[in-house]
This record gives sequence, C-alpha cells and structure tokens, in this order.
Amino acid sequence: MRAYVPFATGGLQSLLQYRSMFVVTGVTAAAGAAVTVFLWRAVYADAPASGGPGGFTLAGITTYLLLAQILQVLHTNRVDDEVAAEVYRGDVAVMLVRPVSYPLVRFFACLPVVAANAVLVGVPVLLLFAFLVPLAVPRPGDAALFAVSAVLSVLIAFCVNLLTGMAGFLTTNTWGVRMVKQSVVAFFAGQLVPIALMPGPLAALARALPFRGMADGPLTLLLGRYDGAAGAFGVLAQQAGWAAGLAAVCAVLWRRALGRLEVLGG
Amino acid sequence: MIVAHELVKEFRIPERRPGLAGSLATLFTRRYRVTRAVDRVSFEIPAGSRTAYIGANGAGKSTTIKMLTGIMTPTSGYCRVRGIEPYRHRQRNARSIGVVFGQRSQLWWDLSVPDSFRILRRIYDIPDHVYRRNLARYRELLDIDALGTTPVRQLSLGQRMRAEIAASLLHDPAVVFWDEPTIGLDMVLKEAVRELVNRAHRELGTTVVLTSHDIADIAAICDSALVVDRGRVVHQGSIQDLLRSADRRSVLFDHRDRLAADAVCATVERGLPGVRAVPADGGRVHVDYPAAEFTSRQVLAFLLDHFDLADCYAPEPDLEDVLRQIYGRQRPAAPSGVSAV
Repeated sequence: MRAYVPFATGGLQSLLQYRSMFVVTGVTAAAGAAVTVFLWRAVYADAPASGGPGGFTLAGITTYLLLAQILQVLHTNRVDDEVAAEVYRGDVAVMLVRPVSYPLVRFFACLPVVAANAVLVGVPVLLLFAFLVPLAVPRPGDAALFAVSAVLSVLIAFCVNLLTGMAGFLTTNTWGVRMVKQSVVAFFAGQLVPIALMPGPLAALARALPFRGMADGPLTLLLGRYDGAAGAFGVLAQQAGWAAGLAAVCAVLWRRALGRLEVLGG
Repeated sequence: MIVAHELVKEFRIPERRPGLAGSLATLFTRRYRVTRAVDRVSFEIPAGSRTAYIGANGAGKSTTIKMLTGIMTPTSGYCRVRGIEPYRHRQRNARSIGVVFGQRSQLWWDLSVPDSFRILRRIYDIPDHVYRRNLARYRELLDIDALGTTPVRQLSLGQRMRAEIAASLLHDPAVVFWDEPTIGLDMVLKEAVRELVNRAHRELGTTVVLTSHDIADIAAICDSALVVDRGRVVHQGSIQDLLRSADRRSVLFDHRDRLAADAVCATVERGLPGVRAVPADGGRVHVDYPAAEFTSRQVLAFLLDHFDLADCYAPEPDLEDVLRQIYGRQRPAAPSGVSAV
C-alpha cells in the first residue's frame, strides 16, 4: 500500500494548482442547495412543529437537503471523468506500465479531491447556509454515526464513479453515461426528493439500491430518523455491504476489461 | 530474455456505413472489421542486446510493445519477458521494465519533473544510492535541472522527452522499451540519450528495445535489428548485416578533368551497364550500382581508369533505402476479414 501514497500526495499537489476550481464548485453547490432548500422550505413553511410530510420539521428538511448537496460535492471525486477519458484516449496504457493496480491508484488519487472538496467547498457552503437558515442540531451520537456513514458513502461513490468511467471501454459517449449516472444518483440518493417522501414502491426501490447510501443513509443517521441501535446498524451495514459488493464488481469488471483492452495507435 | 511465439493481436473495429441510413442501421446491428495488427510474429531478443524493432506504419510495432509491456493480451500465441508473460503478471513484469511512449506522457501532467521523479522513487521503491546515482547522471547528460519546477504540461516536447527517457531508466530496469522515444530531441540530446543508454547497458546489462522511424536513432543506439513487415519478421540480425543486404550501393567521386557533368555521367553509364550516375553537390558525381552485378572494386577501377580522381568514397548504404527495399520486396494482401456481431 505504501506505493500508493505518492498518488494521493501527488494528486493534492496537482489539485492545488487549480484553486479557482473550488470557487466554481462552491458557487455551483451553493446555488444547487439554494434551489432545493428554498423550494422545500416553501412546502414546509406551514408544517407543525411535530413534523410535516415524511415526519420532517422545517429545520430537519433544510438540513437534509443542504447536507445531501454537500455530500454530493464529496462524491464529485472526478474518478468517472478521468477514468473515462483515460480509457477512451488510451492513456490508461501509461498507467498500466507501472507496478500498481489502476483502480487502487484511482482510489488514492481521489482522496485529496474528496478532502479538498470537503474543506474548501463543503464547510464554507455549510457555514453560509447556517447563517441564512435555521438548521437542525444533531445529537453528538448521531453526528458520530453520520461521520462513519459519510466515509462509507465516499467509498460507494468511488465505486459508482469507477464503474461509470469504465463505460469508456464500451462507448465513446462517456459524457452521456456520466449525465445519466448523475441524474440516477441524485434521484435515488434522495438528494432532490427525500426518500421518505417518495411513493411506497418507489421508496422501497430507492432504499434497496446502493445510491441510498450516498445521501439518504447518512442523513437518516444524522437526523436521528432510525429505530434504535439496530436501525442505525442496519443503515451502516447496508452501506458497508454495498461498498464491498461494488468494489468486488469493480475488481471483476476491471480484470475482464483489461483482458480485452485495445489501445490503438501511439 | 524476450521471446515471442506465434504472437497474434487482432482488433475489432466497428464499421461505419455511409450516409444517414447507414448511421441509423449501426444503431441496431453492428458490424466489425477484424484487423490483424500482429500476425504470428515469432522472435527472440537476447539479454543485453540493443535491438531496433523496425517496421513500416501499421507493422504492429506499438502493438507488440504493448503486449511485451503487459498492457494488452495477445489474441493468440504468447510472449515472455524474462520468463514471465507480461499480460498475466503485469505488475511483476512492470517492476523490471522501463517504458517510453513517445506519443503519451507518463509523467504527472500538473507536477514538475523533480516531483514526478519523487513519486516514481516511491512507486518502485528505488534505493537511495541508485536514485542519487541516476539523478547525478541525468544532471550531467540531460541537463535535467534546467527543467526546474515547471509543470510538465508547460514543457516543450524536447524537454518533456528528456524527462520521459530519464523516468524510464530511473529504477534501473532490466529491459527498456522505447516506442518512438526521440521525437523532438535535437542532435546534441540524441547523443546524450545514446550515452545514457550505453552506460546503463555497460554497467547493468540493460536490454533495450527501440522502435523508431528515425534511422539516426536506430544507428546511434542499437546494435541489432528486428525488421517486421505486415506482422512478419523479415530480417533479424546485426544492423551491419541489414546494411549488407542492400541491393544497390553507391560511390561518390570528385575529378579534375575538364568535362561537363553530363558527359562524365554518360561515360560512367556507358562503361558500366546498369549503373546510374547523377551529378551531386559540389561538382561531385554520385554513382549508384546494383550490388549483385558489380563490386565496389570494379566500380572504383573503372573510375580510376577513366578519370583523374581527386576524391572518392563509398558511403554505407542508407538504412532507410534498405528498409524500403525490404518492404517493397513483399507485398501480400493485408489479412483482414469482416464478421457480423
């Protein structure tokens, strides 16, 4: 594993050359959060203190949607773009002459992106909205559960993005695939509409899919919307299961893709 | 050391049909054209040799290199580098090889060259003394310090190529594969690269496999040649042997006779049937003769008999011409087929 550390530090060094990018990401995330937050605040404006639709209070729904947006920033780890581009252009060849595993390299290289997004985009956006609108204050235990769950959500996001990027093996239109992924994830993670508000069968489907672990899962824990210790454990276990399952799928597909890799020219 | 046996690599290239109707049709049925980039190639490259892997465009050079470096898996046949099949044990193979792809950068685009080297040092676990020795060498021969802290993306092609070559040798690999490495290098640097690889070869017995379109590179770096045409090996041996296979040789001479250049040429062509004589720069005459019919001695004797020679020399045959002949000699139809999937 020591051989992979320089990919993380090198990634961080590269990243720091593009500081203005964080401003752009921050503005985009804040705008996105503003749209959903203010829309849903209008819906919940007259909700009783005991909770409106789905059992959310006004502060609760605000926190859910804001943090869903911030989690999405953490999940924008560029793995999908970079893998797709490298596979499509054939630059993956260069990575393959190194004595390292490409998926692991990508994982380590995305860690600084996630960390920088958290610190340089996530925290400022959170503070901005905390200043603008009242947020729910979590219990310390729930905050800790959220932290663990957020880490698992980052792992799931990595696998989903890696799989998306590997579409570059099959199609040249990876932009379209990435757009589809983004919409599917935003919807089934509960980022646009909290899963609790979806109609029964759809909510059941969303709860079964891995994308739930990317926003709704961590936020369920943060807002204390679970049933005792078993409920909290269930959310974490589902996330961990999906993370492990998707990682296995990535490993298998990557291996098969490599066997069929065709790098033409150059 | 490096062995290829009946190595085949085929690519499936989707066929596009012409026109809008054709484009729509490809949405539903896809036809693939199968192109054989490497056609049952077998060869052996001994340890410690510096071999030029030569072929015309599309001869499968890069594809073969990609199989030898473990990036691609052969369609059939196998190859081995130091006893292991690279595509089966890619990471193990990668530890003992160094690679330069002239077309693609292996450095970190946004980092400086020293930063890239520090990363490579960690990846390959390069011992201190090796790392220091190699860096000192790059300073001396490639003037690597001059690249400073500029990110790789802002380097010129020549500067970047210097760094790429250095990077491929940094971990003292047993084999280096250089695919078109000297694009963008000037003469002085080519000389330096040659010195660098010669030292590695002398001290560590590094095996070098080079593909290049630049005959000067090949002549400077390599001692043997592997010539591939349409996937097939058509010559394997020393560069000298390859040159000797030239079917036309040349003699250039200068004379003190007061004769028009045309008259001189006509005299030569009349006296030696099958020979071509053309005026060259500086009043010289270039005589081009078929090696099968005349020896250089016969040609020289004729010239001495008929002219008052001031200067005369017989250059080595041009490697490029030799290769053109070899390619020209055999032109089978390209093996390809169409399959519907």
